Amino acid sequence: MIPTRRHLLHGLSLGASATVLGPIVDRLVAHAAGASAVAQRRVVFVVQSNGMAPAHLLPAGLERKSATTDSPTRTFTEHALVGRTLHPALAPLAPFQGRLALVQGLSNKIALSDHSSELGALGCYPKDKVLGATIDYQMGAVLGGIFPQVGVGYSERGNAYCFSASAPGRRAPIVCSPAESFRMLFGSVAAHQDRTAFDHRTNLLEFMADDIKQARTALAGEERQKLDGYLEAFENLHGRQAQLAARAAEIRQHAPKLADKQLKNATASLTLEAQFEIAAAALLAGLTRVVTITSGGGGQAFGSYPELGIPGLHHIGHGGGYEDKSAQDCFVAIRQLHTRLIAGLAHKLHTQPEGTGTMLDNTVIVYLSDSGDSHHPTGKQWPVVLLGNLGGRLNTNGRYLDYPAYGRPGHRTLANLYLTLLHAVGKPQDTFGVPDPGLCDLDQTGPLTELLTARS
Amino acid sequence: MFSSAGRFPLAGLLVLLKCAALGANEPTFAQTVQPFLKAHCIKCHGPDQQAGEVRLDELTAERKHTHTWGLIRAQLRDGYMPPRREPPPDAAQTRAVIAWTTALIASRPGRLPNHGNLLPHELLFGGPALTAGFGPARVWRLHPNAYQYLVRDVFKERLTGLSAPFTLQGERGIRDFADLYSLDEASTEILIRNAALIVEAQTSTENKNGQTVGRNGAVREFLDLLAPSAPTPRQLETAIQTQFRKAVARPATADEVRRYVGLYDKGVPTGDRVGAARTMLQVILLRADALYRYELGTGPADTTGRRWLSPVELEMAVNLSLGHQRHPALVPTLVAAQQQGVAAVRAAIAERVRAVLTGNKSDKERIYGFFREYFAYHHATEVFKDKPARWSYAPTQLVADTDRLMQQIVNSDRDVFRELLLTTKSFVNAIYKDENKPGRVPVLMPAVKPISFRPEKGDKPAVQFETWYGLEQFPEVQPVELPAEQRLGILMQPSWLIAWSTNFETDPVRRGRWIRERLLGGTVPDLPIGVAAMVSDDHEQPFRTRLQVTRSGRCWKCHQKMDDLGLPFEQFDHFGRYRTTEAVVDAAATAKNVDKKGKALGPVLRQVPLDTTGTITDSGDARLDGPVRDPRELIRKIAATDRARQVFVRHAFRYFLGRNESLADAKTLQDADRAYVQAGGSFRALVQALLTSDSFLYRVAPVEDQP
Repeated sequence: MIPTRRHLLHGLSLGASATVLGPIVDRLVAHAAGASAVAQRRVVFVVQSNGMAPAHLLPAGLERKSATTDSPTRTFTEHALVGRTLHPALAPLAPFQGRLALVQGLSNKIALSDHSSELGALGCYPKDKVLGATIDYQMGAVLGGIFPQVGVGYSERGNAYCFSASAPGRRAPIVCSPAESFRMLFGSVAAHQDRTAFDHRTNLLEFMADDIKQARTALAGEERQKLDGYLEAFENLHGRQAQLAARAAEIRQHAPKLADKQLKNATASLTLEAQFEIAAAALLAGLTRVVTITSGGGGQAFGSYPELGIPGLHHIGHGGGYEDKSAQDCFVAIRQLHTRLIAGLAHKLHTQPEGTGTMLDNTVIVYLSDSGDSHHPTGKQWPVVLLGNLGGRLNTNGRYLDYPAYGRPGHRTLANLYLTLLHAVGKPQDTFGVPDPGLCDLDQTGPLTELLTARS
Repeated sequence: MFSSAGRFPLAGLLVLLKCAALGANEPTFAQTVQPFLKAHCIKCHGPDQQAGEVRLDELTAERKHTHTWGLIRAQLRDGYMPPRREPPPDAAQTRAVIAWTTALIASRPGRLPNHGNLLPHELLFGGPALTAGFGPARVWRLHPNAYQYLVRDVFKERLTGLSAPFTLQGERGIRDFADLYSLDEASTEILIRNAALIVEAQTSTENKNGQTVGRNGAVREFLDLLAPSAPTPRQLETAIQTQFRKAVARPATADEVRRYVGLYDKGVPTGDRVGAARTMLQVILLRADALYRYELGTGPADTTGRRWLSPVELEMAVNLSLGHQRHPALVPTLVAAQQQGVAAVRAAIAERVRAVLTGNKSDKERIYGFFREYFAYHHATEVFKDKPARWSYAPTQLVADTDRLMQQIVNSDRDVFRELLLTTKSFVNAIYKDENKPGRVPVLMPAVKPISFRPEKGDKPAVQFETWYGLEQFPEVQPVELPAEQRLGILMQPSWLIAWSTNFETDPVRRGRWIRERLLGGTVPDLPIGVAAMVSDDHEQPFRTRLQVTRSGRCWKCHQKMDDLGLPFEQFDHFGRYRTTEAVVDAAATAKNVDKKGKALGPVLRQVPLDTTGTITDSGDARLDGPVRDPRELIRKIAATDRARQVFVRHAFRYFLGRNESLADAKTLQDADRAYVQAGGSFRALVQALLTSDSFLYRVAPVEDQP
């Protein structure tokens, strides 16, 4: 009998090399095995500063029922995107129009602040209080991966920048330097390093775990706990080291080749481009299943794009323009930069086979702002763009959804959207974050059923 | 229950606690407190119902519950709970529960900086303090700036590519508490990366005239490890000892050396000796005692069971309290002093404090940091405001002015606290030209220049920056005396008023809270989660009238501690500008303010009389309670009290010792207050007293909390 490709792959997956080739073999086997394979799901959060204008979500020809496009509707409305032209700000996403859900009318007033709601955007709680794990970490806990979450981004502020939390009170930093995020994810297989450096690191982590264990013995009670996190860090990193070692070939295959211009004194655009490349590579290499990519935001560090002729985002947030460009022109230009990068990421995932389809089929990209609907948000609406259906669990096949306005019957919140994501990956729960006291007369629990499919 | 769970099992403290709070029959958790909770609290705050999201049936005497006990104590003491509709508890029982909670808080102060006031002021300053003080044996993660100095101590030259591994939390108030911080995975990853970069620089070489030599900043002792041949045991040990002294400021023990050599040996089979050596040098930089201040009390014990900080621990404690950089030269001095006895140790520390606080070139940023965190005026830059039309608005400069004023008062070192509250002087839009260039006479000049305008084009002149302070012109001699009877001290500086304001309004509530907590030593519970803070949007009314909403039933319970202390500051608008009337929307005129087509042209304002009165209530000093006419009277009255000064001393204690005070610190606090007063209000004397106190010098190992 001449073995088929499917048989070969099946044999390969059971052989000794399986641990080394891990995910790639899994995927090929799954690809060969057809629909019965369990697909891995992935979530990407893209969080951009200065608000997401509701107008940018409106395709040509659609109007919101109320007087201005920026006001939410009274009742739930839905339109198909098929045959419609996206707003120029979202035009780069047109190739994926059939995979989009543009969601309007959700609120997140609990996280309201001057500008950035910081952790409130992904946590649905007051900005200054880190009351729980943010949605990216909660998804990471369900979906697994060597890194439960990878947070990369761009900020004028350097690395002291957090949008995520792994637990109550535990902020997780966004790595804002592409060089650093590259080292973190692909350092083990970087060209100038070899297996030796990797082994030295393994030795270091092992030694340090032992060292901190010894240091702990000198302490008692709560003082000992102060070293527990440090010890746990070394132990986790050491464990991760073993996982990375097992997958070196896979990781090397996907390690991004960044250009010098992306790494040294890079502009905001180049930094973001590099971070998107790194994020895509991390997903392709199976290093993580949850990525958070942030752009600006946090306090008043919105970003600066002199390369686009937009030196300050605060200025345009207050209606100011630059040269012949109005504030709105500038907002569209910045949005297009981001939607282009998102489209690029989606394209990369789409070219990677997985199961009976592609990696993109098992992914959802959640694109929103840390500042709700505008530079000075009200929190009463928080537009979100969804791309991808998370392995058929979400109904995002070209839809425009507009939920009833804040306080009206049927009004829903950003927390409900996050509950939808949790539901879609098999972790249904009733509440997320802190409920909005202004909505105490409405049901704030459960997922957005409109977005779920029968399969979820 | 309480005594067996005592955090610091010192007989002396317990005796004092009993005298202070308990009386002869010591109430216990099981016999007194639990039955009380069951009878009066659990019905609404238990498994079935959690009114106000408060649940009390799971409370224990563990330290993690200290804050909740503090809130319960305040509710009982002030008679807010149980509510009136419920049968009142027996007065003696209530007193016993209050006494028990007081004792608990006194022995296990809350972990967070803003929980320090839960320990009643009277217990610390109400009578003579008998006990000999001490602190808990503890570790304290480095301040982010101290980490930078550690890096500098390890590698003297410039080093690029390093990242800050950790930060302080962003809350207002004193931020660097020993109990707040540990190292997590994200920090650890950065620390490892930094250590690799540092060691790479320490061991980098170049080729000079055919010879391999160390680059600028490379450590000579490490270069032997880079040779192709195996290093001798002696060369290895020398390298270890060198790195150890740089990172930990002491020599490594024989056992430590053996372990590091073991790590090196483990790396050699990879075939990369140099890599193995670098790894060995990196792990020394990651040691817990390099990244944490160690204050375990590894020195000798005294007769009461307290242990000295060892000279190395003490050196770190003293220098990282005064600044961010270690000063290992102090260690031999402390070793010698410790042999002579406690007086010599105190003298050595006092001298170090003097050197830092009076030195012309010494780095006083950490000292100044206390005043910034105490007043929090530097947060003015974070409160977003639209600039008022035709006014220059530069909050950074307003902060810089206050900063300069604060530094001048601190450096004059006379009556510091009262001066900070009552000075009539101010810096105004000032910088010194060529300030940092030696040999030049600094010239005062406006930091923010008047906005240029072109009258020929119909521009109206912009209001100049000095006007913010009520002056007509830029004053060339500063600090300048501000217009009479307008402003006093830091709390009436524009920066402080802006820092404690909101985007569009003043903020009497948080200002009042600041005064309640930081001048009167009182407590206000945090805003309950789920309570939406809403002031009416009716802009036809003065803000004071709009704030009336807080006077309704359940809001007033907390707001009565704040609002009336903050309302006198209505003397200033939300930009901190002095005013004598308040602008409100004129509804009738606004309705008429339309163009020809009837389109509204925006609100029209009218001026209404300004009410700047307030009331001091429940201050803890009956002479102080009563009405005040304006913010100046309010601050004058408070500044004249011993209590406000003592509360200031308590805050200084928290900043310099990195923890809340317990009853064991009563003597330390009283001594510090006395030293401050006797030295004519000298902040230096206060810091000297704190850093030479028993609370600073001695440690007692904590006992494990009960499960």
